[in-house]
Amino acid sequence: MSRIGVFVCHCGENISRTVDVERVAKEAGEIPGVAYSCDYKYMCSDPGQNLLKKAVAEHNLDGALVAACSPRMHEKTFRKAASAAGLNPYLCEMGNIREHCSWVHEDREEATAKASDIVKFMVERVKKGKSLAPITVPVTKKALIIGGGIAGIQAALDIADAGHQVVMVEREPSIGGHMAQLSETFPTLDCSQCIMTPKMVDVANHPNITLYTYAEIEKVDGYIGNFQVTVRKKARSVDESKCTGCGVCMTKCPKKKIPNDFDQGHGMRTAIYVPFPQAVPNTPVIDRQNCTMFQSGKCGVCQKVCGPGAVDFEQQDTLTVESVGAIVVATGFKLYSIERKPEESAIQGYGEFGYGTIPDIIDGMTFERLASASGPTGGRILRPSDGKEPKQVVFIQCVGSRAREKGISYCSKVCCMYTAKHTMLYHHKVHDGQAYVFYMDARTPGKGYDEFWRRAVEEEEAVYIRGMVSRMYQRGDKIVVMGSDTLVGVQVEIEADLVVMATAVQAQDGADLLAQKLGISYDKYNFYSEAHAKLKPVECATAGIYLAGACQGPKDIPDTVSQASAAAAKVMTLFAKDQLERDPVVAKVNEKYCVGCLACKKVCPYGAVEEREIRDRQGNLVKVVANVNPGVCGGCGTCQATCPSKSVELDGYTDEQIMAMIESL
Amino acid sequence: MNAKAEKIRVASIDPSYYQAVTDAIRTEAVKLLSEEAVVAVVGYLPGRRTGTAVPGLVTTPEQAQQLIFSPACVNNLSLYLTKAKKGVLKKGKVAIIAKGCDLRALAGLMGESQVKKEDIYTIGIACAGVFGADSNRSGGLSEASIARKCRECTVHQPEGTDLLVGTLPELPQLTPLEAEELARLEALSPEERWAFWKEQFAKCIRCLACRQVCPFCYCEQCLCDKNRPQALESSPRPAGNTAWHIVRAMHLAGRCGGCAECERVCPMDIPLNLLNRRMAMELKELYDYEASTVPQEKGPLTRYQEDDDQSFIK
Repeated sequence: MSRIGVFVCHCGENISRTVDVERVAKEAGEIPGVAYSCDYKYMCSDPGQNLLKKAVAEHNLDGALVAACSPRMHEKTFRKAASAAGLNPYLCEMGNIREHCSWVHEDREEATAKASDIVKFMVERVKKGKSLAPITVPVTKKALIIGGGIAGIQAALDIADAGHQVVMVEREPSIGGHMAQLSETFPTLDCSQCIMTPKMVDVANHPNITLYTYAEIEKVDGYIGNFQVTVRKKARSVDESKCTGCGVCMTKCPKKKIPNDFDQGHGMRTAIYVPFPQAVPNTPVIDRQNCTMFQSGKCGVCQKVCGPGAVDFEQQDTLTVESVGAIVVATGFKLYSIERKPEESAIQGYGEFGYGTIPDIIDGMTFERLASASGPTGGRILRPSDGKEPKQVVFIQCVGSRAREKGISYCSKVCCMYTAKHTMLYHHKVHDGQAYVFYMDARTPGKGYDEFWRRAVEEEEAVYIRGMVSRMYQRGDKIVVMGSDTLVGVQVEIEADLVVMATAVQAQDGADLLAQKLGISYDKYNFYSEAHAKLKPVECATAGIYLAGACQGPKDIPDTVSQASAAAAKVMTLFAKDQLERDPVVAKVNEKYCVGCLACKKVCPYGAVEEREIRDRQGNLVKVVANVNPGVCGGCGTCQATCPSKSVELDGYTDEQIMAMIESL
Repeated sequence: MNAKAEKIRVASIDPSYYQAVTDAIRTEAVKLLSEEAVVAVVGYLPGRRTGTAVPGLVTTPEQAQQLIFSPACVNNLSLYLTKAKKGVLKKGKVAIIAKGCDLRALAGLMGESQVKKEDIYTIGIACAGVFGADSNRSGGLSEASIARKCRECTVHQPEGTDLLVGTLPELPQLTPLEAEELARLEALSPEERWAFWKEQFAKCIRCLACRQVCPFCYCEQCLCDKNRPQALESSPRPAGNTAWHIVRAMHLAGRCGGCAECERVCPMDIPLNLLNRRMAMELKELYDYEASTVPQEKGPLTRYQEDDDQSFIK
């Protein structure tokens, strides 16, 4: 007969408010095999843990069940306590009567009955449990950074400076991300390029960083400490090892009128191009959709003029496998495109604003390019339609953001600040111009932020109108902006020369697909989810994967850089050890009954299953069976669920345990 | 009904077709065995009574002259290749006679690592159909005597064989009885449909002939024989019977080749192939997967694609 101790936690009032914990403890004491039961205010506290340790010794317990919060919260805590008391830690389990019970129920009677049931079946699981020993696995001290914006760059430099190898993968031909596009940055108005480009160069020159640009993640296998990542290097059509970056190819390319994405389509580039002059690496890429050679087979000018012979029209995508121990996801954001309603999306467009049809309605990022010294206008604020200097500019905040009826309910966080910055940049460049801002609220928490906003309003003469714009249309060469001033209670109509909209920050295209490859979770807006909103803000729930920057949610540069360094610190913590201790929750094959159909091998996401030949003493093949490598097994149990003959069992979650749990109810 | 249609309906398949298939099988088997390309041929031999056939293993060119093909050749011979059943592959490379439906089982077994392609030589048959389980066999193969599965067969001319023998005679259009029965069951309310299956499962005596005859039931220990923990009740009582037939249908989902041997051998006449076909439809609709006569790398339950239907995850 088992001698199990049951410890019921109040969790302050979190559990005891809806569950009669004393009754649960009393009823637990009557379950056959339970030798001791009690309840306590905070089981996770020091006295609570001592209670468990003391009970193990006094009542000679051979198993323990703590009915409290989720095992994700405190399983480690209690297993450590059990271990200190001389019990095998894997014979200490948790029954979740908080998230699974008290938090989601109101009726005390029913919640108490359910809590008792949870205790009852978890006791059965402990009874059928086995003593297990932890598994140690080596750690590959090399990190993968996905995304080469400021978040990825910061994380890469921090990890590389600590002496570890870093692999950075960037989808675009150059690193730099959105920050490289900005003109000045709030709240200090220092030039974005001036603080960004040196960091980009540092990445390229760092001996510990391997940089893959124009590359994407194809596949991710493995687990914390031992990931195998397949990187697809897209065909650049230019051999990076030969190219000197002289740029002759670009000057000679006859296709010169291709809208440049880096300038938000307002500048032009050639078919063979670098996105911007400060690009890292300074190696051009051929845009095959627009290249005459690729489309009609005639041209090849770039190849002819290239001195080192770097242009290669035959280049193919290549796949490289990198072994890494940790992954930092820093894929950033994109801006809400409001011109039309995206197909099959819950997000409504802003057709009433005429964006996309009226050329002088632009988004914030386009304004950044207009204001930037490296932009299409050389830093002069000129409107796209006729190149005139706008004298009246209307800025609209919260376009797409905080608009539940349009499909996005969150605040994009950076728009209040960058719109204030835009009004200042405008005022500095067009002294006789007037800026108007339509806003819902001015949200300026952050060091020096409110002061910055006040400066825009009080010193730089921006007119802030609290209210939203309902409609915009073209009248002559002006844009009529109709809106309301809700503080005064009047309708406003402004004839603007240029309208700048602060459109919502959204997750990158394909963020969900990347998450599926990585096995990390994401919210309904495709922003990646952290493991705990407060206590684990940079970790993913999947061990060994960390988040940095706006891929997790809208963030400004200071927050992004902080989070990137935090993610780097987490990676360095992981790399501080040579061996990683892992839970021994791994699959085992019963070779007697395995028929070698290898369904488990086909479904294993970790690649932990291999074939094993069983031979008799004469060396004749008896049969082929599946074999699980415990170092690689992630303990997900997919093989157990797939095995048709039930010949695979997951330690800690055996069929026997689960059936006993079901039967106890 | 006009006279021509009437004639086709009652007409038997010309016996010369079977003779031609038989001759082709014998010629090939003799060739393979005398050249020692294979150690044995798994095929059909005449049964004791006239008009019957039994599965047989021939190992010499002389024995190969005994091989036949007739509408009585109902068995799915791929059954004999797996270790759990007869394990004839232990002897070395063998040739096997396979109808279209049997070939899908063979392809499935290859996909599930039970049979290696290089260990077998498949002699496919352009098959006109076989007898139903309890039909009157005296008048040859006709609409009255043909098996239900053959009325709507889609693999008369199977692909992916090493050799295909026989030339199909003109095949009459027959009413798809199984499809009609499936449609009738689909039209019922869930309660009525449950009542139907409950009654069918209640008849089951758990002889497990359906398991023994199924080429895909190759486990050395069947889940239903496991007793620690016991997955399902082993005595023939309604609850355990229902569980058994559901487990069976789930394990075969998308794998079943449609040979309907389970239904043929069932002494209690439970229409098991209806369940198999219903599950196959489900897999086709949800995951665009169907059993094929060519081996597929991953099975329906081991394959994952990014565009897989996930609407059932709420």
